[in-house]
Amino acid sequence: MLRYISQRLIAMAITLFLIISLLFFLVHSMPGSIVNDPMLPIDIKERIEAKYHLDKPLVVQYVYFLGDFLTFNFGDSIKVQPKVPVFDIIKDKLPITIQLNILALLFTLPIGVICGIMAALKKNTATDHGLNMMVVLFISVPSFVIAALLQYIVAFKWELVPILLSAEQALTWTKFKSMILPILALSFGEIAIVTRYLRAELCETLNSDYMLLARTKGLSQMQATLRHAIRNSFIPLANIFIPMIFSILSGAIVIENIFSVPGLGSLSINAINALDHPLTIAVMFFYSLIALISILVVDLSYGIIDPRIRMGGKK
Amino acid sequence: MKLETDNNREQNPFEFVQREKQLADEKFEGKAIGFFKDAMLRFRKNNASFVAAFFIGLIILMAIIAPLLSSFSYREQHIEWALLPPRVPGIEKIGIWDGTKVMDIKKTSLDEKYKGSIVKVMEEYDMDYRGRKIPMVKAKVDMYELKGAKDTYFWMGTDALGRDQWTRLWKGTRISLLIGFMAVTINVLIGVTYGSISGYYGGTVDMVMQRIIEILSGVPPLVLVILFVMYLGAGILPFILAMIVTGWIGMSRMIRAQFYKYKGQEYVLASRTMGAKDRLLIFRHILPNAIGPIITQATFAVPGAIFIESFLSYLGLGLGAPEPSIGVLLAEGQKVLLEHPHLTLFPAIVISILMLSFNLFGNGLRDAFDPTLRGQE
Repeated sequence: MLRYISQRLIAMAITLFLIISLLFFLVHSMPGSIVNDPMLPIDIKERIEAKYHLDKPLVVQYVYFLGDFLTFNFGDSIKVQPKVPVFDIIKDKLPITIQLNILALLFTLPIGVICGIMAALKKNTATDHGLNMMVVLFISVPSFVIAALLQYIVAFKWELVPILLSAEQALTWTKFKSMILPILALSFGEIAIVTRYLRAELCETLNSDYMLLARTKGLSQMQATLRHAIRNSFIPLANIFIPMIFSILSGAIVIENIFSVPGLGSLSINAINALDHPLTIAVMFFYSLIALISILVVDLSYGIIDPRIRMGGKK
Repeated sequence: MKLETDNNREQNPFEFVQREKQLADEKFEGKAIGFFKDAMLRFRKNNASFVAAFFIGLIILMAIIAPLLSSFSYREQHIEWALLPPRVPGIEKIGIWDGTKVMDIKKTSLDEKYKGSIVKVMEEYDMDYRGRKIPMVKAKVDMYELKGAKDTYFWMGTDALGRDQWTRLWKGTRISLLIGFMAVTINVLIGVTYGSISGYYGGTVDMVMQRIIEILSGVPPLVLVILFVMYLGAGILPFILAMIVTGWIGMSRMIRAQFYKYKGQEYVLASRTMGAKDRLLIFRHILPNAIGPIITQATFAVPGAIFIESFLSYLGLGLGAPEPSIGVLLAEGQKVLLEHPHLTLFPAIVISILMLSFNLFGNGLRDAFDPTLRGQE
């Protein structure tokens, strides 16, 4: 197991290195200069570019960059918040994004699991068909369409919740109220995915022999499902649960924009549009890191949830 | 003893039918049903998918002919007619889409600015403004009358620059569909080739090719697409290219799995012993097994591509200005969502129906090609 983990970590490091190199060359070969003020004298412009090593050849810049990167120094932001270390900017924007994500997950999982169980137990009945319709609908309709719809109907027409996120720092009731809509918009698609997946898994499990045994032993359908069937259906669910964190995170880029949440999503858009290279690289690196870690955690979690599975083992 | 058998023979109720006749299989009645015909028969039974196929056809048809139906082009601007609500001839008599809008107006300006264009005054109230009471009315205003566009009809209203939303929407649908179909076609071609080579030859070739895929799929696709669009600039072609970078991986994995499943089977071995070349084995004997999954997966990939396109357009990383796409229209609509919901409503409906139809259509195709998968979404 330890050997497997270390192998995976080495592979991950190589992937990360390739990603960061790709990021560097793509971002730095983008057209346009960071100094785009036409009023600025040429020599000042050159001096600014020299300060960030932008006048040197790309390969030299790359060496500088790698040197900084190995000491976890992402540099300072150039344009979005000049002279502030990139790390601090991300640290600043992270809490609200994480709050939104965790709340969305907390909302998604129980509802998705309940819907999935209901659909599987009531297979081929009106409940099942209704849930199925919901699943197809929520998987198909893009989250930003749902967000716009919620914003217009719930916030503007009915005036139940604020239209935009409140600017308070602490997590108070008013802040939570304004977070309801973004959370809903983030959750619907994921709820549908969990429901569909769990239903398919449970339907298969419910037909297995050990379920019949459990019923003949005298357990009720409810007990048998909750104690025996669910456990086995959770293994494949782990497969989609952790990528879900990442999909919510990337879905949040648009949702944050719509509800003007000052989080990581809007930060990455600002960084890209302002040609703030260090910040862009850092944010994209952060997203890649989370994606890679989530893949690793999924693979490792198989062995913990179901001890019969041995990862990386030979035949 | 002999008597007994004789007796038995007399009582035996059975007799031989064809001692002298020759035995032959009966000739088949009717025509043989091929793979696609069989799938079509099953597909027809699935009502939801059939309706979805109809809607896809309708939207494609509208994307082709609808811009021709309108007298405005998609980049024609009428600044004085900006942000008109929808107005459709015929339906306007019922009271919806009649080009009116409920507005809060100062009572004093009723007779000056809005003269002649008030359809109905709904309620009167007073508004406190810095201690003074200002009489206000909530009135239904005929925007077309107000902005001097009395005899024109914008079926879905106009946007902030006075461009016809109907033409722009269908033009945008055309571009979104084009991007979706192009990206998926190229992805299928690359994926099938890559997967076939990797799966058929196996060994070191497979190992190297799979490591390349592993690295590529390690990068979050969204990050990669964003970077590519940034790098190549806005436009239809960069967009398609950006979606190709990682889009083919899923297809190639599926094809590789198919090759692993079939390449060891006896019929392949038989063909090889008879001297079949690699090319023949790949294209003639193994690949056709995957035709169903290929079509199904490609169908599911189209809404995915359209989604990514509108997602990026929504972030402002999409197509450049005059070209509309559904995502661009939605992003423009979002800015004025609260005042002019019609600009968001119609693109939202079209993209929702499009994605829904493609998903249902894909479900139907999957069930039709492989009935054993039915029920597991």
